[in-house]
Amino acid sequence: MYRYDNIDKAFVADRTAEFREQVERRLAGEITEDQFKPIRLLNGLYLQLHAYMLRIAIPYGTLNAAKLRKLAWIAKTYDQGYGHFTTRTNLQLHWIKLRDAPQILEHLAEVEMHSMQTSGNTIRNVTADPYAGATADELDDPRVWAEAIRQWSTLHPEFSFLPRKFKIAVTAAAKDRAATKIYDIGLAMRRGRNGELGFEVMVGGGLGRTPYLGSTIREFLPTRHLLSYLEAILRVYNRYGRRDNIWKARIKVLVASLGAEEFGRQVEAEWAKADHERTDLPDTELARIRAEFTPQFETLSPRSEALERAKAGDAAFARFLRHNVHPHKAPGYALVDVSLKTPGLTPGDITSEQMNVVADLAERFSLDELRVNYNQNLILPHVKLDDVPAVHAALAAAGLATPNMDLISDIIACPGLDYCALANARAIPIAQHIAERFADPVRAEQVGELKIKISGCINACGHHHVGHIGILGVDKKGEEFYQLTLGGSGEEDASLGQMLGPALPADKVTDAIEQMVEVYLRERKDGERFLDTFRRTGVTPFKEAVYADAH
Amino acid sequence: MKALTANRLADGEAVFWNQGQWVPRFKDAQLFEDAAVAETTEGEAKSQQTVVVDPYLIDVIQSEGLWAPLSFRERIRALGPSNHPQHGKQALGGDDIAALQHAHGAARSTGRVNLIKRK
Repeated sequence: MYRYDNIDKAFVADRTAEFREQVERRLAGEITEDQFKPIRLLNGLYLQLHAYMLRIAIPYGTLNAAKLRKLAWIAKTYDQGYGHFTTRTNLQLHWIKLRDAPQILEHLAEVEMHSMQTSGNTIRNVTADPYAGATADELDDPRVWAEAIRQWSTLHPEFSFLPRKFKIAVTAAAKDRAATKIYDIGLAMRRGRNGELGFEVMVGGGLGRTPYLGSTIREFLPTRHLLSYLEAILRVYNRYGRRDNIWKARIKVLVASLGAEEFGRQVEAEWAKADHERTDLPDTELARIRAEFTPQFETLSPRSEALERAKAGDAAFARFLRHNVHPHKAPGYALVDVSLKTPGLTPGDITSEQMNVVADLAERFSLDELRVNYNQNLILPHVKLDDVPAVHAALAAAGLATPNMDLISDIIACPGLDYCALANARAIPIAQHIAERFADPVRAEQVGELKIKISGCINACGHHHVGHIGILGVDKKGEEFYQLTLGGSGEEDASLGQMLGPALPADKVTDAIEQMVEVYLRERKDGERFLDTFRRTGVTPFKEAVYADAH
Repeated sequence: MKALTANRLADGEAVFWNQGQWVPRFKDAQLFEDAAVAETTEGEAKSQQTVVVDPYLIDVIQSEGLWAPLSFRERIRALGPSNHPQHGKQALGGDDIAALQHAHGAARSTGRVNLIKRK
């Protein structure tokens, strides 16, 4: 876990003090809302339907017990006793008062946290593979590089007024658990021919009104040049990105209009004339960061008799093992998913009491570490196999052990019109209804991997374009309607979903999902996932099932 | 018929205009039959920069003999989030809340006057 040095501490303290003064001036009428709004947004403070919303940055989704306990305390003291984890691995508090915000930032600073880079046209909070440092299939811990990007990008003066927001994701594994192809810049670590490590650099991915998958502009960038190359990309974007039209301001539009090849050529030209030494991280600093990400694992047997005994006598625990427990790089350890997807409840929501339970488990059983996954769940990354039964029991007692990871009830949903000022329709009730319909764990397991992603508007915070089934809330003649897409993926086999047909009213959505599941179960071959079957059959059988009544 | 709404500056709560005061419950909102009077009042509200943020007019309709915002979005503002019925104004209960919950009408794009013209 990276710890702030004196520079980090000083600038976060300065920023907090500055914001306190800015809030006081706004409340006193010394500055107008038009002047204040960009300031509060640069501190992650939005005004939504019912109250202010504070979006707290969780760099590369990594937390420890002290941080999560502080978040629990803030949620209980200043909010309604719960928080909402987002697809950007941040935490949103939806009932914040402006007059409390400076105090909250001071509390966050005590545990080395802040809410910068969670809004505004800046380089946003960087995300990474949530299995980082724990999975056997990675070439390096991507958080070392994500932390370097965090230090380089936070309050970067040249990149604080970009044409539009800018998001970077990093992975070092072949399996893409960080959705790198839908980011402004996606970085995927590769090993070069001589054994050297580098990044495949993808640019111009993004969802929203105009979705694109990222294009590779460099197959292999030696890791030591990461920051200077990022700087070259940002410079080209900052110079040529459109500022005249908010809908065309993201880098994806620039890359699409120039073509990835030409954009890449301009980046290379920019990079060639830059002084790399000035920007790239010195080896000493890299070593300092790396030292913060080296947990000490015990030497353990790869097989746990305690776990095997527990599994033999408990079908629910065995199911939890199948879906929520994953192999670890260190023998005798496992990654354990904490499900925030209890059918009927709000995806990504967690109460202060539950946060405290997870913090205790992280401290006691997971080397004081936990992760936020962009699919709105948490992970205990370093649990001894011997301890998994106890962790499962504690999670189950707190309502956090639903064995549904990547199954049909593990639905991503943005806050939608229940909270968000931008939304056109609600997302949460649709997710609740679908998850309740498929709450039976046996049935969910029979259906297998099926990723449903719901957004309440075209901004696509719920990643609907890359859902196996995507659901987009639209306002159709004044009513909430839902547009379904099929066949999307945000992983290494990334693709954008294909439209199913005319939008459906809210009360028809769950039936449509069930009809499509029936088609899949009828059509699937040889253990195909829903996505595989769809890719083989195309949209026609699904369309026929859902719109049968209309013909 | 129209009402005038905003979010309170200090805490962000959805509030409604009544004779120069801002009240938290929709049932206490002043209703404007005369559009010109409503627009003049909206102008007055916009000058209260240290009290509220972004005041605007909304259309209202009748529901169960009481008044309710036409727009679904505005009804959610007047009630609270539908996923947490214990949060927001809806937790207070009462006939006025029930009338809002039972109202039917438009979603976001209608019922907020001049929405399209705003940034």
